[in-house]
Amino acid sequence: MRNKTIRHLSLVLALMLFAGVLAACNNGSGGSSQGSEQGGTSGNKGEKVTLQFYMLGDAPKDLPVIESEINKLAEADLNVNVKFNYTSWTDWDQKYKLLLSSGQPIDLIFTADWTFYQSYAKKGAFLALDEMLPTAAPKLKAHVPDDMWNAVKINDKIYTVPSTWIEYVTEGIAYREDLREKYNLPKPESLETLEAYLEGIKANEPNMIPIADSNANHTHGIRQLTSKLVNTAGQLPYGLDIMYDTPSTVTSYWGSAQHLEDLKTYKRWMDKGFFPKNVLNVKDTSNSLLQNGKSAVVLSGENPNKFNADVIKVQSTHPDWKLAYFPYPNAKGFAQPVHPIHNGFAIPRSSKNPEKALAFYEKLVTDKRYNWLTEYGVEGKNFEVDNGYYKMMGDAQTNGFPREGMNGWAWRNPEFMLYDKTFDDVLTMFEDLDKIKKPDIFTGFAEDWTPYQAEKAALEQVEKQYLYPLNVGLVADVEAGLNTFMEKAKQAGLEKIQAEYTKQWQEYLKSAGIQ
Amino acid sequence: MNTPMNTHTRTNTRLRDSEFTFMFQLISYSFIIILSIMCLLPFLLILSGSFSSNESIVRDGYHLFPTDFSLEGYKMVFKFPTQVLKAYGVTVFTTVVGTTLGLFLITMAGFVLQRKDFKYRNTFSFFIYFTTLFGGGLVPWYIMLANYFNLTDTYTVLIFPGLMTPFLIILMKNFIRSAVPDELIESAKIDGANDFRIYFSIVLKLAMPGIATVGLFLALGYWNDWFTSSLFINNPDMYQLQFYLYNTMNTITFIDQMAIGTGITLSQDVPTESTKMAMAIVVTGPILFLYPFVQRYFVKGLTIGAVKG
Repeated sequence: MRNKTIRHLSLVLALMLFAGVLAACNNGSGGSSQGSEQGGTSGNKGEKVTLQFYMLGDAPKDLPVIESEINKLAEADLNVNVKFNYTSWTDWDQKYKLLLSSGQPIDLIFTADWTFYQSYAKKGAFLALDEMLPTAAPKLKAHVPDDMWNAVKINDKIYTVPSTWIEYVTEGIAYREDLREKYNLPKPESLETLEAYLEGIKANEPNMIPIADSNANHTHGIRQLTSKLVNTAGQLPYGLDIMYDTPSTVTSYWGSAQHLEDLKTYKRWMDKGFFPKNVLNVKDTSNSLLQNGKSAVVLSGENPNKFNADVIKVQSTHPDWKLAYFPYPNAKGFAQPVHPIHNGFAIPRSSKNPEKALAFYEKLVTDKRYNWLTEYGVEGKNFEVDNGYYKMMGDAQTNGFPREGMNGWAWRNPEFMLYDKTFDDVLTMFEDLDKIKKPDIFTGFAEDWTPYQAEKAALEQVEKQYLYPLNVGLVADVEAGLNTFMEKAKQAGLEKIQAEYTKQWQEYLKSAGIQ
Repeated sequence: MNTPMNTHTRTNTRLRDSEFTFMFQLISYSFIIILSIMCLLPFLLILSGSFSSNESIVRDGYHLFPTDFSLEGYKMVFKFPTQVLKAYGVTVFTTVVGTTLGLFLITMAGFVLQRKDFKYRNTFSFFIYFTTLFGGGLVPWYIMLANYFNLTDTYTVLIFPGLMTPFLIILMKNFIRSAVPDELIESAKIDGANDFRIYFSIVLKLAMPGIATVGLFLALGYWNDWFTSSLFINNPDMYQLQFYLYNTMNTITFIDQMAIGTGITLSQDVPTESTKMAMAIVVTGPILFLYPFVQRYFVKGLTIGAVKG
């Protein structure tokens, strides 16, 4: 009996010791910053709270400086403090999911179509803002135009604050203009001229492999040369075709005559040596291949912004080269500016201070001091305004807060925005695209893949195994290869996916009133 | 290789024996040499890549010897040594503290679980064993550490989850059982030693090879860990070395793949190929030097653990 008590006692003791060790570690390194402290500066602002703010990506070096500056302002204005958290790009999608599903207190989080805003909103991960907006953030409510508020609605409720800056992320062909002039080649502005251009490069520059794209992603670009797909980036899922002029008609691109013809083109390109033989394993980024003179053309992923970055880079390393750009919208005949869903901020359900969070976000967007601090850093330290242009102090290595260093794409305010001088070219491109602008009818659609989740995963595998080699012309018999792919895709459940997707799409068109 | 020559003239059987030995050595040496080359080549490629200029890598690919020698990769890595050094510090700290604490806990657990006079040893062993078969999964684990223990952004979270690995506890338990006979513990008791005395003076001394093995497992685990940083650390100053590297690489992949349709612009400077290689060298360095020193224990401990356990 006595023995037993001693044993129990020592067990408890050991446990306590262990807990003590842990607690000591924990206290030593900060612990949690959550919770509220007594403010006491002013009565009507309530007690002081710390807002948890979540962004994607990596934090800039000078973030602590910016955070303390912002907190000085926010404490005086709203009696709040803000803690900026970053997910880093590693597994950001998994972390995003964990942040929203674990119920830890978060007050503001970045949203976009590519972070699946629509499906999270549908599942109830965010708080509806409709009632809060007029009282907590009237200025913000007025700042964002009504049609934008309407565009981000999911199930008739607003869950995110959209960014009001209009940009285009349409793609285009980036190519070496100096080589084109040198060998007197045609401008690559259609499938035929593109092929002629590639041929000319291959013939005259034996050390170059003309196409820089790897992993078979050039197909998105080529499809935009040949059809008027609804989606800006030409990336309709599951091999579907939806034309902009007849959105309610959904057809299958995979297995169609056009698809076969495109695949034959890729086979011909491979035979002519436009792709490297190991194209599916190339790890270099297409931009670095272009910038270093290994390739002459990038077919996919070059939006105006990215192209501009390439131009700047090449100007500094190879001043004798010239790059040119052909936007796909010019071939399609229309361009779509990004949808308001594309950049936004939402308040998760777990937030303890939604009103304060919204009020703070209003400051971020509509107050120039907050906006400049978080977009460009400290004036005189990180940047200066030169003739109305943004000018970085030092270079990207020494400057702790480059332009938009906080990844603050969502609270860009056109009224306060400063551009780098080199950005003028992009703005000119945007102006041109403005002329052929049509509304984006695609991004408002929220796909719900729960009915075909298993099939979707199986199809992705089939695609990698059977379609990718076809896309880069690695299969000798294209027609047989396509048949095998279609057969395997059907086994994986392609028809079920396409039917369900079509149904959801048509329901969306009806509810959005699009013909 | 001289031995076969010296014994050549003795007897016929000797000769045959030595010829076999020679053949065996020839085959085994060439086999080992080929194998070592296969292991060394990739490392050499990284090494030469780290000393090449970035442009030559993109243009001509990797070479065994740098075609265009340059130190720009290392210059970039050490341009801001604070970040690399901080990550180093965090990793060294977690490795040392985690390994020490973990060894203490695991040997304790192993010792207790193998004692025949501990009545509930099978129940406890079962609980530990059970977790190797059925785990809660990622989400509950995350919620537990982040919301209940509030460990986000602490050093504890980098150390705590790795302290007790069921596999290592079982290994240690079996090892102690084989290395420390029950009779020894009994006689020590008769001589008046208490359990702690037995643990510190007898068990720890006799279990040294096992401790070295488990210690190396733990140390490698902590050194190579990036996942906990990835999930629980938001503060870049507290990134582990591996995660710091991994994240830099991932950012590049992200820019290439995601930025297509998202149109987001990243203002950070993207490290070049040669910088990546230089970073890989800097990261592997210390553990590479540590290995030869621990290796002899490692081999011994593993075999003993394997044969008798």
